[in-house]
Amino acid sequence: MGMLNVEALSFRYPGSTEAVLDGVTLVIPDGGIFGLLGPNGAGKTTLISVLAGQLHGATGRIAVSGEPLDSVRRRRPHSLGLVPQECAFYPMLTCLENLRFFGGVQGLHGVRLRQRVESVAGFARIEGVLERRAGQLSGGLKRRLNLAIGLLTEPDMLLLDEPTVGVDPQSRAFLLDSIRSLRGKGRIILYTSHYMEEVQAICDGVAIIDRGQVLVSGQLAEVLLDGSGLLTLRLRAPLPDALAADWRTRYALREEGVARYTLRVPSATAAAQAIEAAHVAGCEPVAISYGQRDLEQLFMQLTNRSLRD
Amino acid sequence: MHRLLALWTKEWLALARDVHGLAVLFVMPAAFIAIMSLALSDVFKDESARQTDFAVLAADDSTLAERLARRLEGDGFRAAPAPVDEAAARAGARQGKPGLVLLVPREFERGLREPPDRTNPSQALTLLADPALPPAQLAVFQHRVLGMALGLRVSAAARIPGFAFEPGAFDLKRAATLSIEVVGNSRAGRPSSVQQNVPAWLIFGMFFVVMPISSLFIVERREGTIARLASQQVPFSLLLLGKVVPYFVINLGQVVLMLLAGRTLVPWLGGEMLALPARWDLLAAVAASTSLAAISWGLLVAVCARTMEQATVIGGVGNILAAAIGGIMVPRFVMADTMQAWVDLSPMAWALDGFHAVLLRQGDAADVAAPCLKLLLLAAVLLATALWSHRRRRMRNPAP
Repeated sequence: MGMLNVEALSFRYPGSTEAVLDGVTLVIPDGGIFGLLGPNGAGKTTLISVLAGQLHGATGRIAVSGEPLDSVRRRRPHSLGLVPQECAFYPMLTCLENLRFFGGVQGLHGVRLRQRVESVAGFARIEGVLERRAGQLSGGLKRRLNLAIGLLTEPDMLLLDEPTVGVDPQSRAFLLDSIRSLRGKGRIILYTSHYMEEVQAICDGVAIIDRGQVLVSGQLAEVLLDGSGLLTLRLRAPLPDALAADWRTRYALREEGVARYTLRVPSATAAAQAIEAAHVAGCEPVAISYGQRDLEQLFMQLTNRSLRD
Repeated sequence: MHRLLALWTKEWLALARDVHGLAVLFVMPAAFIAIMSLALSDVFKDESARQTDFAVLAADDSTLAERLARRLEGDGFRAAPAPVDEAAARAGARQGKPGLVLLVPREFERGLREPPDRTNPSQALTLLADPALPPAQLAVFQHRVLGMALGLRVSAAARIPGFAFEPGAFDLKRAATLSIEVVGNSRAGRPSSVQQNVPAWLIFGMFFVVMPISSLFIVERREGTIARLASQQVPFSLLLLGKVVPYFVINLGQVVLMLLAGRTLVPWLGGEMLALPARWDLLAAVAASTSLAAISWGLLVAVCARTMEQATVIGGVGNILAAAIGGIMVPRFVMADTMQAWVDLSPMAWALDGFHAVLLRQGDAADVAAPCLKLLLLAAVLLATALWSHRRRRMRNPAP
């Protein structure tokens, strides 16, 4: 489909002085999954709502391969699929009736509708519960139905707004695998979450958004590269007090949990020396990370807050 | 069209699974019809303390009409200005304004001096009656007219020198030839409790579509399906249209079933049988207008209410108030005069006027035009307000 360009997008609700989106600029390539990470209230859902056409009145520009998104959607009304945060379907209808309804209301009918219903039901592995009322499904199955509905029209642009909220680990793993399999074929996929592990697991590109502003954006590997000499250690035992006091002075040591530490070392040599010193002190390293940070650390560096705050 | 079909199918399926909602729509009005037709049957038979307007139209001169009106006035009967001619009198009685018109033939006073004679045209009084007038009240007025005629006959006889009393000369029943014509009702059927109650509770039931419409809409909003449909570029107006047709069919189903209840259930329980209309097309027009007003009301409540509780209060209590004011729960003619001034504020009263014009008065298109137009106008205003309210809310909240 091309590239989705969001330029200087701002939005504020009528009557509010605070911008929910404040000059958001993003480049989201097709063929991969682009993660939008941010704490609750960061503006992720608002951005999704603006992109999906649910909210009007935003300033800025949204274009797909240079063509305004509105124009693309007028030309191809069902080129965009939304999987909202809520399980947005009819609980009193069966899964099959829901799929037929959402397909029908988007213009699918006859053989094509039947084929698409079968296809998305197979993809989400809900064939066995098609005759069950949607309201009676487990949380995981509801999420799968929610995803299946979003795929009915084979959209070129798929917006997934926290699609794994409130599901058990097994269903989450299934959903993430399913979503991962959607990448490619020129499709743009925007995936919002406040679970950094999910974004790190399935996304190719990422943007961190907070208070309506993009703090960082790019390919995941690039974004996670760390040039600030961050050394993360998980040790078999806590550091002795003397060594901890020394590192606090020399390497700005921070305790991240029981026997878990982050240090700022000036060089790779200093990192090696620190690891050796820990070993000598009887605190054998169990896990070591240098030159790479995770999204939680990145967010903390950018905002001095935890992503989960 | 496929999109609309999908919306209709969804609405039907959702409705079919709302057993309680359907029960409210069908069982409630039927129960009210049965209960109230039986409970109020005596009220309709023994009409008492209320003011009924009547007019007298004398072919000879207006002073005679005024004199007769003064004699007839009192005890719940109030003289209204005389209509200009018989056509105006019929048109007025058809609409119950006034409910009774006494047509006095030429040389009526001279005829009173002659012995009672059914073939004497000067003794032939005609009483035009509003079909909605309770029969007991009509009977009271009928005797009042005969009493007045007898009084005039006695006075006239007393002034004739050498007048000889004949047996039966002053019999009340023979004081004048009084024919009663229930205007607009070719079958001369008088209104009964069931004919008042069937349309009344039918309208009440039709307006109760507000409950399923609003509850499903609130579920749709709460579950995020409306927002999802918006993202799928389903116009909100199409969404509303997808709701109108299924509920329209439901309302028409109510009409058929409630007429059947009036024909079968009420007589089976010991009440009177409903008289069916002569003009089914007019009944359909009134039912359709009522349905559109009721559905539009439901859509407005659905859009404005934020919670199920709000919808229940606004929709349910609103309906009950409209029914109380509009002559559904307490028939208009039973109400005090001051209360009657409020009746026409209720859309249910407009609908009731329309149904009465068809079912009671066997009226024509002109008789149902005003109520239908009022209801359709109301439907348009409510629908426009619902759309405006939705747009306004959507600007404020991504999940409309």
